[in-house]
Amino acid sequence: MLRFMLVFLLVLICLFTLEMQSSVQQAVIEPFTGLLARISAALIMPFDSTVLAYGKVLQFGPGGFAVSIEAGCNGVEATIVLIAAVLAFPASWRARLAAIVLGFLAVQALNIVRIISLFYIGNWNLDIFSWVHLYLWPALIMLDVLIVFIVYLRYLSRHAPGRQHAIA
Amino acid sequence: MRLPEQNHLRQFLLFVFALLIPCFALWSFFSAALVTPVIGLAHLILSNWFPDIVNVVYQEGADAILMTRLDQVNGQLVPTDVADEGLGFKANTRIVSYSIPFYAALHFATEKKEYLGKFFWGVLVLYPFILLGLVSVLLKDLMVNFGNTFLQQPGVLMPGADTIAITYQLNVLLIPTLVPILIWASQNRQSPLLRGVLGSIAAPADNASP
Repeated sequence: MLRFMLVFLLVLICLFTLEMQSSVQQAVIEPFTGLLARISAALIMPFDSTVLAYGKVLQFGPGGFAVSIEAGCNGVEATIVLIAAVLAFPASWRARLAAIVLGFLAVQALNIVRIISLFYIGNWNLDIFSWVHLYLWPALIMLDVLIVFIVYLRYLSRHAPGRQHAIA
Repeated sequence: MRLPEQNHLRQFLLFVFALLIPCFALWSFFSAALVTPVIGLAHLILSNWFPDIVNVVYQEGADAILMTRLDQVNGQLVPTDVADEGLGFKANTRIVSYSIPFYAALHFATEKKEYLGKFFWGVLVLYPFILLGLVSVLLKDLMVNFGNTFLQQPGVLMPGADTIAITYQLNVLLIPTLVPILIWASQNRQSPLLRGVLGSIAAPADNASP
């Protein structure tokens, strides 16, 4: 447990500090955040043709309500937590890589649900938008990371050599 | 009633989702009372750390108000001796204290023998992180608004601007959701949920290479 915590915190702080560098923000995070905005717009448009996406902004037509996807809203921090936890837990590199890729997809899928839901909630009521945006959704996204990690641990436990010997 | 092993995760998820909204609603109602000690301690820390700049940190609902000893005259920051004339900043304490309802939902959703005692200790462990979070938010406000006047105070041990920025981001973006999970995991290692997934891989994992 101690070793897990040390490796987890070390990887977490290193990746988080790296993410905060302005060069990484410009080269990776901002284009990725813009991609999330475009994916969200593409998902909404078949149902609502008034939606626009430019840069990291989603907007209900010219002059309409708009949201800008900022740091903390792009799921990158949650992904960093997942990567740190997966790397800190002893397993084969193949299992780790699969967990990181699938976990990233799970986190981003829920994050797009978050962006779209906040977009509509904000257009409806700004007080509820603030509450859901600042408090509820961050907890749900981190809960998603926890679930992914527990499912990963269950996968490892079912494929652990010790368990196979015990069953045999 | 104890559920079969494969249902512990499902049971946990059902209870977490059922408890999340009530826990956050209760916290919204009591959040001002919950942060009172944190704001008092933030006042002690900041007014002693920066006696020439920070006058007082006090509570207004769930917000912390930081009043400074500096005023702006013709675009210049000047010291003021009149308590109410200093510049002030408002900080939303809920952005660091929502770790409490999140931890509560995780804690009460997990099957265990004893609930209230462990919950008390868990919340007690959360409080230093909430305090650290609020202090980092106020440090960021001081740095952004006062710049070098704040960062280059003679005779004051100052963290660098990058350290303040990263600490702020860490305390707002990660700590409020991560620390509750770490406390929950630490307290529930022996719960049926975690024992089910950790028990069978603990021995091989100890021998595995990282």
